[in-house]
Amino acid sequence: MDIEYIFAQLFNGLMLGSFYILLSLGLSIVFGMLGVVNFAHGAIYMLGAYAAYTICQVFAQSFWLALILSPIIVGIIGMVLEATLIRRLYAFAHFYNLLLTFGVMLCIEEVVSIIYTPIGKPFGTPGTFVGSLDLGFIIFPRYRIFIILITMICSIGMWLFLAKTKLGAIIRAGTDDSEMVSALGIDISRIFTLVFGMGAALAGLAGVLAAPVQNIFPYMGGSILVETFVVVIIGGMGSIVGSILGGLIIGELITLGVIFWPPVANTLIFIFMALILLLRPRGFFGRAKFFE
Amino acid sequence: MKKVFLLFVISLLVISPVAMAKEPVKVGLISVLSGPLAVIGKGEEYGGRMAVEDYGEVLGQKVELIIKDHAYNPGLANERAKELYEKDKVDVITACPNSAAALAVSDQALRHKRLFISTSAGTCDLIAKNRYTIKWNYNDYMLATTVGRWGARHLGKRWYTITADYAWGHDLLKYFTAALKEEGGVHVGNDMVALGTADFSPYILKAKKAEPDVLVLLNVGKDAANSTKAAVEYGLKEKVKIVHALLFEVDIKGAGIETFTGDYVAASWNWQVDTPGARDFADRFYKKFGERPHFMAAAVYSSVWQYLEAVKRAKSKDPEAVKKALKGHTFRDFFANPGYVRAEDLLQVGKAYLLRVKKPGEVKEKEAFFEIVGTLPPEKAHPPVGFFGRKF
Repeated sequence: MDIEYIFAQLFNGLMLGSFYILLSLGLSIVFGMLGVVNFAHGAIYMLGAYAAYTICQVFAQSFWLALILSPIIVGIIGMVLEATLIRRLYAFAHFYNLLLTFGVMLCIEEVVSIIYTPIGKPFGTPGTFVGSLDLGFIIFPRYRIFIILITMICSIGMWLFLAKTKLGAIIRAGTDDSEMVSALGIDISRIFTLVFGMGAALAGLAGVLAAPVQNIFPYMGGSILVETFVVVIIGGMGSIVGSILGGLIIGELITLGVIFWPPVANTLIFIFMALILLLRPRGFFGRAKFFE
Repeated sequence: MKKVFLLFVISLLVISPVAMAKEPVKVGLISVLSGPLAVIGKGEEYGGRMAVEDYGEVLGQKVELIIKDHAYNPGLANERAKELYEKDKVDVITACPNSAAALAVSDQALRHKRLFISTSAGTCDLIAKNRYTIKWNYNDYMLATTVGRWGARHLGKRWYTITADYAWGHDLLKYFTAALKEEGGVHVGNDMVALGTADFSPYILKAKKAEPDVLVLLNVGKDAANSTKAAVEYGLKEKVKIVHALLFEVDIKGAGIETFTGDYVAASWNWQVDTPGARDFADRFYKKFGERPHFMAAAVYSSVWQYLEAVKRAKSKDPEAVKKALKGHTFRDFFANPGYVRAEDLLQVGKAYLLRVKKPGEVKEKEAFFEIVGTLPPEKAHPPVGFFGRKF
C-alpha cells in the first residue's frame, strides 16, 4: 500500500471530519448552553444546502454569495425557531424539547419536499474549485481542500469568539449558571436566541459546503445527524475543542476503516463511542455535570 | 293490484341483469405513493390507470382498479395485500416495489389462491416462489447478467465493483461476477458499502488504485448519485467507464445529467425503444401526467393488459384458467416484443437493453436521457429454468 494513497485517504478523513466539526459545534454549544438536544439540526443542515441551491438559481450560480448568505438565512430561521417554539419548553425536562425538535425536523423535511419535490436537486462543484491541486505529496481535489480550510477558519473563529470576547464570556458563564448570569443584569433570553441562531448558521454552512460533494435532497440530514451525535458524545457535550477533536477522530476512523477493515467501517465509530462511554462517560472535554 | 304487479315485473326487469351479472374483474395495485420514493410509485399508479382505461371491458364489464399505498414498508404491504384479497376481493395484485414487500404479498397470494404479478421488485426469490406468483419485467439476475455479459464484450476486461451492503447488492454481485467470468472478464476488486453513505471518496480512491477499465456501481438512488459524483470529482470517470445496476430518470433529474453522462445501465424497457407502440404510449403518458413513463410504469401497464387478455382468452377469471392462458403464450405489446411467461416457473421474459446516458447537449426532448446501445436476447439475459432450484 503506497504512502500517497494513505495520505489521500487521511485527507478524505479530514474533509469528512470537517463536516462533523461544523455540525457538532452547533449541536454542542446549543446543548451546553440551552440544554436542548436539537434533533432538528440535521434538517437545518439540509436547509443550508437548499438555501444555497436557491441562491445559486436566483443569482446566476454565485457560489460565494450562497456561501455567505445561506448561513445567515438559516441562522435567522434558527433564531425564529428558538424565539417562537423552543424557548417555551426550557422550564421542562430535556425530552420535551427533544420531542419538539424532532417534530420540527419532520416539518422542515416535509415542507422542503413539498416545495422542491423529494427528488433532490443537482449541485455542481463551483467553477473556481473544479479540478485538483498538487500538494507535492498528494493530488487532492481543490474543493475538498477549500472545505478543510473553511472549517479551520470557522473553528478558530468560534474559539476566539467564545474565549476572548465579552459576549463569549457571557455565553460561557451562561452555560454554567444561566440564573446567575441573568441576576447580573444580562438579558439571557436574547443570548439564548443568539446561540441557537449561531448553531443553526454553522449547520447551514455545513449544508452549503456539502451541497457540491453529495447531492441535496430533503432527507440528507438524517444519517449525518447520527454521526454528529457520536462526535458530540466523544468530544464532550458543550465543548468546542471536544467537537473539533471528536470530528477529526470520527472522520479518520470512518475513512481508515474503509481501507483496513471495510466490513466494520461503519460500526467502528459506534464501538469507539461505546468505549468512551464506558471509560469516560463525559467525553474528552465534557464537564462532569452532564453524565457523571 | 294490477298496478303493483306491473311495478313488480318492471322492477324485476330492471334489476335482474345487474343481479345476474358476474362480479367485474378487479385488479389491485400496491405501490409506494408516499415518502421520497413516491416519485417512482406514482408512475406505476399511472401505468395501471392507463391500462385499465385503455383496455375497456372484459367479460362484458368494466375492469375495476383498486390502488393502495404501502409506503415502501413490507409490513404495510402485507396488510394491504390481505385487504385487497379479502375485503376488496381483487382477482390479481400487481406492481409492489421493495423485495421484502413483494415476498410478503406473494405469501398472501398463495394463502388466498389468487394471482400476484410482481413487476417492480428485483429479487430472484420471487421466481417460482409459489404457484400464484408471476414474475414480470426485470429481476436482479437479468440486470447483473446483462451488464456483465454485454459489458465484458464491449467495455473492457478489468472490472471493479462497489456494492450496496444488503441482500439486494449481494445478489447482484453474485450474478454479475458469474456473468463476467463466463465472458472472460476479470474482477479486480469489490467494496461493500453501507446504505446511505454520504462520502464515497475513500471507495473511489481504492477503486482508482486497482486500475480497472470499468467501474460497476451496484447501488441505487442517492447512493448511485453520490458514488458517481465522487468518481467525477476524483477524475476516475475520465479513465473508466461506469456501469449502474439501476438508474431512473428521476435520479438523473436529481443529480444533473452531466454527472451521469456516458454511464451504462441495464433495463427491461425504455420509452425510446423501437418496439411498436412504445413511443405512442410514452407520448400519451406524458400528455396525461407530465412526465415520461419509466420501465416500472410500462411493466405495470403491460402486466395488467396481458392479465386481462388472458382472462379474455380463458373466458374466466379463475386463477388456474388465467394461468393456463398465460403460460407459454407469446405476446407482443409495446413493453415486450415478443415476451412470454415460462410455464416452468411463471417468469415473464423478454429482451434486455443496455442504455447509455447522453451528453447534456444531446437531450433534444424532455427526459430523453438515454440512448440504446445494445440488447441481449431473452434466453441470455434471464436465468435458465430451475437456476434457483425451483420449478413446477
